[in-house]
Amino acid sequence: MPRALEHQHHTGFFVRGPSPTARLFFFAVLSLVLIATDARLNYLVEVRQGFIALLHPLQIIANAPLNIAEDIGEYLHTQTTVVEENIQLRTQALEHAAELQRFKALAVENERLRSLLGAAQLSSQPARLAEILHMSRDPFSHKVVVNLGSRQNITPGQAVIDEAGVVGQVTRVFPFSSEVTLITDKNLSIPVQVERNGLRAIAFGQGRSATVELPSLPANVDIRVGDTLITSGIDGIYPAGLAVAEVIQVDTDADSPFAHIIGKPLAGIEHHRQLLLVSIPQVDRPADSNTLKTPAPANNKKATPPKRHVNN
Amino acid sequence: MSTTSFKPVFLSLLLALLLQLLPWSGTLLMVRPEFLLLAVLYWTLRAPHLCNIGTAWFAGLIMDLISGGLFGQFALAYALTSFFAVTYQRRLALFNIWQQAGYVFLLLLFTQLITLVLKLFAGGELPGWEYFLPSVSGILLWQFVIFSRLNIDSRSNKA
Repeated sequence: MPRALEHQHHTGFFVRGPSPTARLFFFAVLSLVLIATDARLNYLVEVRQGFIALLHPLQIIANAPLNIAEDIGEYLHTQTTVVEENIQLRTQALEHAAELQRFKALAVENERLRSLLGAAQLSSQPARLAEILHMSRDPFSHKVVVNLGSRQNITPGQAVIDEAGVVGQVTRVFPFSSEVTLITDKNLSIPVQVERNGLRAIAFGQGRSATVELPSLPANVDIRVGDTLITSGIDGIYPAGLAVAEVIQVDTDADSPFAHIIGKPLAGIEHHRQLLLVSIPQVDRPADSNTLKTPAPANNKKATPPKRHVNN
Repeated sequence: MSTTSFKPVFLSLLLALLLQLLPWSGTLLMVRPEFLLLAVLYWTLRAPHLCNIGTAWFAGLIMDLISGGLFGQFALAYALTSFFAVTYQRRLALFNIWQQAGYVFLLLLFTQLITLVLKLFAGGELPGWEYFLPSVSGILLWQFVIFSRLNIDSRSNKA
């Protein structure tokens, strides 16, 4: 017969130390204090960062089996698949090069037009390639953890994209890793624009169903199923013109003055492990450019980013 | 007759933490049992003089860190669960395997319920029934470990 959990005999007949109730009371109060501190006051950010850094070696050990399996898989790639992939990538690169040339011409033209209008110049945004370490431990929160952190000058608020579109935003930065909240998370919203007609809206994550929602739009709004939503760029965080989601459902209810619009994110984080973290652009915010000042303070503003890194 | 030493407890807790840290994703993430909680419960029921409410609380705190949620929610849930485990620990030794498994299943569900309530208080959304899948997979793993007579504690096997 299999062994059940037999009682452990130890030297003392009674478990020594304080009674379970006293222990429970002590630890329950301790956790409630922690919960309150974390929820109401943001004192625990550094503590969390420190402990996550301590756990980092364990994380590396835990990730090792998968990495090794991937390495072996790569090593055992046959030559034909490599050649095939190579051809495919070559054609892709050619196509992209052609597009890029057109894009460059457009960018120059756009900049000239902007300068004619006197509008703010959009500087190009440097981006860094990061790798997904793991999904969030909690399957019901829409977050991933990537392998770049404050040591690599990542700051909270940076936009995260992949080759298909916007993935989300960096919300928490630890020394060697950072947490990315996906656009489908309930707490994240992103300013979007309908590609077809330039209509602006804000997309809110829906959480459970891994979709985004455009609330508070009138029932007669010109959005159809199949429309692509792109970033509008007016928030100053996400670069303008990146694909966000495709509209999959538009319900107009006679009872409600608002349309019920659901979009499905285009970026697919399930399929690959690389993401791009885009730096926050240094554009003149409307509040700054409205003040009638000489360009001198603008230069000061450009000098601030290093300071911001120091803060984190 | 021998007492469990500290080493197997520590090593199995570390192993459970490593299993918890594996890069789970997709469906596997949904059904992944709470390895750390299972290890803590096992030792709380077997050797409460080595693994008590404090250990459970600390394990919960580590869970809070790696899950990135509100600090202290897993700690509170684990401490409460291990309190119930410790209170009935002596009576549980008289039960048979299936009764023990039933009790452990209730404890697992209880932990998830506590974390759910705390999450809802913090402004989370109500998840579907699949939220409780880790408890089911957890109890399956529990029975598997009990039946397979895994040599967790070699000295007590010899006894």
